Amino acid sequence: MGFVSYAIRRAVSSVIIIIGAVVLTFILTHVVAPHPASIWAGPHASKAVVEAITYEYHLNQPVLVQLYYYLIDTFSFNFGVSPFFKQPVSSLIATYFPRTIELVVVAMILTVLIGVYTGAFAAAHQERAGDYSVRALYLISWSMPPYLVALLLQFALAYHLKLLPPSQLANPALSVPKRVTGFPTLDALIDGDYAFFYSSLRHLVLPAFTLAFISFGIVTRIMRSSMLEAMSAEYVRTAIMKGVGRRRAIYVHAFKNSLIPVVTVIALTFSYLIAGSVVVEEVFSYEGMGYLITQALFNYDYPTLVGSTIVITLSVILINFASDLVYGAIDPRVRVGE
Amino acid sequence: MFGRAVRFLVSRPASLLGLIIVCVFYGWSLVEGLLQFAGILLGDRALGWVLLPYDPFKTNFSKALLPPSPRHLMGTDDLGRDIFSRVLYAAPVDAAISVIVVLGGLFVGNLVGLPAGYFGRGVDEVNMRLTDLFLAFPALILALVIEATLGRQVVYAIIALIVVWWPSYARLSRAEALKVKPRKYVDAALLSGLSDFQIIRKHFIRASLNTLVSYATIDLGNVVLVYSILSFLGLGAQPPAPEWGTMVASGLEYFPQWWWYSIFPGLVITVVVVGSALLGDGLRDLLAGER
Repeated sequence: MGFVSYAIRRAVSSVIIIIGAVVLTFILTHVVAPHPASIWAGPHASKAVVEAITYEYHLNQPVLVQLYYYLIDTFSFNFGVSPFFKQPVSSLIATYFPRTIELVVVAMILTVLIGVYTGAFAAAHQERAGDYSVRALYLISWSMPPYLVALLLQFALAYHLKLLPPSQLANPALSVPKRVTGFPTLDALIDGDYAFFYSSLRHLVLPAFTLAFISFGIVTRIMRSSMLEAMSAEYVRTAIMKGVGRRRAIYVHAFKNSLIPVVTVIALTFSYLIAGSVVVEEVFSYEGMGYLITQALFNYDYPTLVGSTIVITLSVILINFASDLVYGAIDPRVRVGE
Repeated sequence: MFGRAVRFLVSRPASLLGLIIVCVFYGWSLVEGLLQFAGILLGDRALGWVLLPYDPFKTNFSKALLPPSPRHLMGTDDLGRDIFSRVLYAAPVDAAISVIVVLGGLFVGNLVGLPAGYFGRGVDEVNMRLTDLFLAFPALILALVIEATLGRQVVYAIIALIVVWWPSYARLSRAEALKVKPRKYVDAALLSGLSDFQIIRKHFIRASLNTLVSYATIDLGNVVLVYSILSFLGLGAQPPAPEWGTMVASGLEYFPQWWWYSIFPGLVITVVVVGSALLGDGLRDLLAGER
């Protein structure tokens, strides 16, 4: 199968998944929900408000009509108005989402770097002390609840050693640079505000490292097994016999080919990191999507919760699609295995 | 078979550690759970804490936020309650939830996955697309929305967790069904006149459970972990009922000065999750060795 037809097939199936996921949220929020109007309005809403919500969300109409309006609203990113923040949900998301993307991207880079390094290291020391310690480390790291990792790192690095700031997006004493992209560090750079740039970078370190710590094991495991497979391959043995040296054969020859399967788990870690960010952002008061979701939960702000969920899920599906494309491009065998 | 499995697990230090942790956690939960249940039946809730060092509900402001010491192993919380007693008291709920969610996930997963693998074609297509749909959501976030929709109660937390857990079992059991399908004994069963349903019930479920048992063991801990995140976010049992995740969350206000309030319940969760992962890994190696 050529790359283009492979890409088209992946695109079609991604679109189907997107529509399916949106319909699934509709079923949950309009059909399964015991009292949709009072959930959308919040628990303390007056009767008049509930009635207004019923009218606004077309909740008194037949289910298929509701679905029609829901699909139209969702795909035009109209998620209603947040009863807690008193703002359209879409503009809340536009503010908070880039911050989380920035956090997740940094965390992802850390995850992949730590995972690839520890995986290769474990494989090179197969069934010896190095291997066992790496495996023990990732076993513990992914067994820890994200809030515990966050608290321990905050305690050690921020409160005890005072190396890093414990919470928030940036030093609140600094004025926020003007919004261009929505990504705090990028905006600071564009604005030439290096103080803010430096501050927001420092505030990124702890949450990003927390996320990387709980998820690098996914990459380590896949890297270790694909390294082991590559190390027993004939081309590596040939390289050693030719006199390349064991270290070079492992860390250069075997290493490069072992990276291919890692691409597939990068998309998986994205989903994992963005879910982890809900808890981590709450602990660090890092005001991104996770913080928005926890605030929505605490304040019974249902439109914000549902809108955030849809946007996050769409981004996960898109990242999966992108990673399929990359994987299909670097490893043609994948395209046949449909 | 059972004796051999135990000997295998005991012979490896990591699996032995896992076995001990899992046995202590579920053993304690069973005893403590029965006591709490008996206490409710007999109308004397104090029966629930006869084995605990302190009454987990009794507030005492003169002893608020005491650091860990031999008298209070994990210190006391802002209301002067003993954290160690509260951690022990909360264990049965987490144990029960983990077992229910894993069994529920196995049930639904097999219900969707086995027919997909056995019949193939249309059934496979429909069932697996449905599975993909659920897997498209980040599990934690889907669980949050489900619970926020249905209501903030433990029952709905369990339902939410089963909804996000079954898809991975559906994939695994489908893969198992595909492995079993070409076997001769399946043909023999068909020729002997068994219906599709009987074949799935007799041959496929057993094969799938054999493989899934190690995943299910690892997931016992993972359910405890994810449930603790739900309760950390205020979606678990409502206070004053002790709850590991809720305890961490209420300790946040007192962090970092009174760090033990949040840290100890979190560490207990970690130990349970590590234990079930070690035991699950051991079971996987055991089953892999048998083939």
